[in-house]
Amino acid sequence: MYSVLQGCLGLLFCSIHGLLGSALDCPDRDAGGTRCSISVEKLLDRAIQHAELIYRVSEEARTLFEQMFIPFSFHAQQSHGGHLCTSNIFPIPTSKSEVQQISDKWLLHSVLILIQFWIDPLVELQASLDRYDNAPSDLLNKTKWMSTKLMNLEQGVLVLIRKMLEEGSLELHNNESVTPYLLPTDMVEHVLRDYAMLSCFKKDAHKMETFLKFLKCRQTNRPSCSIL
Amino acid sequence: MGISSGPKPFLTVGVLFILLSPATGFSAPGRPRVINCRSPEKETFTCWWEPGDDGGLPTTYALYYRLEGSETIYECPDYKTAGENSCFFSKNDTSLWVDYNISVVASNDMGKSVSEPVEVDVVYIVQPNTPESVMVSVLEDNHGPYLRVDWEKPQSADTRSGWITLVYQLRVKQAKDETWEEYDAGMQKYYNVFSPHSGKEYMVQVRCKPDHGFWSEWTTPVYIQMPDYMPKVRSMWIMVAVISAFLILLFAWTMNVKQNSVKHCLLPPVPGPKIQGFDQQLLKNGKSEEMFNALVIPGFPPTSTYEDLLVEYLEVYDDEKRELVLNEKNLIEGSMKSKSTSSDNDSGRGSCDSRTLLMEKCVDESGTEQELSQYGEASWASSDSEGRDNPASPGLEDGKVQMWPSVFSSPQSHNFQQQHPGGLRASHHSVPEISCVSPQVQTCCGQQDQLEGFQFSKPGLYRYAQMYSMDTIECKHVAQEPQSQSQSQSQSAEYVEVQTVNQENVLLVTPLSNPEGPNPELSDFSGEDYSKVRDVTSDNVLLLQRDLSVSQFVGDYCQDQIGQVDPCFLQQQQQEQTCKLNAHLHHPASALQEDMRLAGNGYVDTTMMMS
Repeated sequence: MYSVLQGCLGLLFCSIHGLLGSALDCPDRDAGGTRCSISVEKLLDRAIQHAELIYRVSEEARTLFEQMFIPFSFHAQQSHGGHLCTSNIFPIPTSKSEVQQISDKWLLHSVLILIQFWIDPLVELQASLDRYDNAPSDLLNKTKWMSTKLMNLEQGVLVLIRKMLEEGSLELHNNESVTPYLLPTDMVEHVLRDYAMLSCFKKDAHKMETFLKFLKCRQTNRPSCSIL
Repeated sequence: MGISSGPKPFLTVGVLFILLSPATGFSAPGRPRVINCRSPEKETFTCWWEPGDDGGLPTTYALYYRLEGSETIYECPDYKTAGENSCFFSKNDTSLWVDYNISVVASNDMGKSVSEPVEVDVVYIVQPNTPESVMVSVLEDNHGPYLRVDWEKPQSADTRSGWITLVYQLRVKQAKDETWEEYDAGMQKYYNVFSPHSGKEYMVQVRCKPDHGFWSEWTTPVYIQMPDYMPKVRSMWIMVAVISAFLILLFAWTMNVKQNSVKHCLLPPVPGPKIQGFDQQLLKNGKSEEMFNALVIPGFPPTSTYEDLLVEYLEVYDDEKRELVLNEKNLIEGSMKSKSTSSDNDSGRGSCDSRTLLMEKCVDESGTEQELSQYGEASWASSDSEGRDNPASPGLEDGKVQMWPSVFSSPQSHNFQQQHPGGLRASHHSVPEISCVSPQVQTCCGQQDQLEGFQFSKPGLYRYAQMYSMDTIECKHVAQEPQSQSQSQSQSAEYVEVQTVNQENVLLVTPLSNPEGPNPELSDFSGEDYSKVRDVTSDNVLLLQRDLSVSQFVGDYCQDQIGQVDPCFLQQQQQEQTCKLNAHLHHPASALQEDMRLAGNGYVDTTMMMS
């Protein structure tokens, strides 16, 4: 009886705490914190914000790169290279119907896979851009920022997975095998390669954002998710 | 026609056609152009193209696309749904996050032409349909009416599942205005527009946009008519203004009616000076003499109190002795005419009509019957002799002189008679202000009450006074003076003998009582109580001297100097006291000068207090 009461009180306090939004107390990376926690909804919101920001910055970076280094005539020839980004590596839903058929668990995992896939290539991209003679500092800053934020997002998604799915994280450590797959070997020119990388990253960022938003609507269990 | 094979053989055929049909007037079609592709809900999309020149022949168009990372060419699955020159991709044909390479081929009998390829990623070309069911209504709250706009999301957009997130925007303008006001409504589906103008018609439009995409088209405008209303605040202020205006008018009218009393209240009239007998009109007339005469109070200065005192100063004149000649003539005229007759009448003594005459006459008077007519036209003396307090003494020709009689009125009342012989006397001694140049001559300085009315208004008087002072002026302050022989006659009297008139119009006199004769030195004359007329200023002010010490004075006198002169103090009313000797006051001259205050109209202010 006494333990039940204690449990109830603890729950009450925690829920209140969560309702008050003490976000500062429990950052996303706090994996060890067990006393107080953020609600799943708030975590998702944060993850979505991260993903939105990453996408926006990637879009800006790509546009910047395109203006600086890519002649106009090349735009049409992008697809000839056939860079596939990540679509060929592991199955990612490409339509709404497909996404709807995927379970929450798989959605989250998909997001995580995407994130983990891009952490190292971004670092490489950053290093490559640094070697440019006239790369604008804005572009470099953006790339750096994206790299950092992606890592934060990874942490958040891991927490989400732990919370929502109550399972351990599925870490993907075989980045090295992925990277060469992504980058076609015949693409010698650094510029084109970097451009392709930026384009792919932008797409994948959009994917992450879409999946997370979709996931959020499912989680809230509201009749209409448009109340966002 | 549909071509499922690659473009290469097709192109070859096209080229062949073009080459083989040169001059038929027809040509291969012009190059079409893909205008744009749009996806309304991120699930399907449509592409539109613009046909080029058809070359005069019926031309067909075909759209081909290729997916990213694949070489397979697909043709548009649906040319109809979206209308003319369009291709609709259904859900099954749509893949997200995949680039589509789309091109349109126009072909006719003469040839084909291919458009420029277009890369499309469906997620980047989302443009939702317009919002639906836009409704505008007028609502009221405490601050007045406002517009409330409601709408619905476009039906095609799936925001429920979170697949698409839409943000809305609305714009409002008055029907007759040209510029719109835009408001961002975020993700909500309603908006309040506050403070619309009453009585105006408004137009409202709404549009939406996905989080990454294009803005939709504006909805058709919705019109709303604002009712006429008056803001509560404004109506209140109007009422306040009306009431206050009414109050102000009322107040102004009241003030106008009660103008005088208000004026009296706010600006109380300044009390004017009230001097008994002071007539402003006289002043305005410019005749100051009349005015000053008007100021003379009949009963002033009080003489009754001095009567007793003055008794002792009465002087009895003897024909043999110096006789004071009181001339009734007006001194002011400055002409010492031979009014001696009158004066003779008054005083019974010979009077000197002129100064010189006077001097001569008065040089030696011992035993002379003629009295020193220092008084010249001492009309005042004569008037005094009448012994009346009436300032308007007979024979006075000038109002100014009237003052004199009052001065002497009291003491002379018994002293002076119209007739002389007995001597005139007291009149002089009733000239207290006149300082005796000679130490022997004692004047009562500051016989306040009598001095009050004393006034020298003309140089003639001045001279007269000077002369007079020298002569047998009876001084009241006889007590201190060495009781010379004159005192045997009267306590205050000390007679002097005019010896000379120096340059400053100062009569030099010697006491007659002095057996030595005209000896200016009279050491035994204390002269403390008497003051000498030092000067008469242009303002007709008599400056009296005060002797510091008799001897000193005498010494100065001997040397025919005016010497340091201590102006006399003029005492003000000291009813009980006799005229004090200014000489007693050993004040420094300068101080006296300062202390000497001149009242207006030539009066010497006798407010000085003597110690």
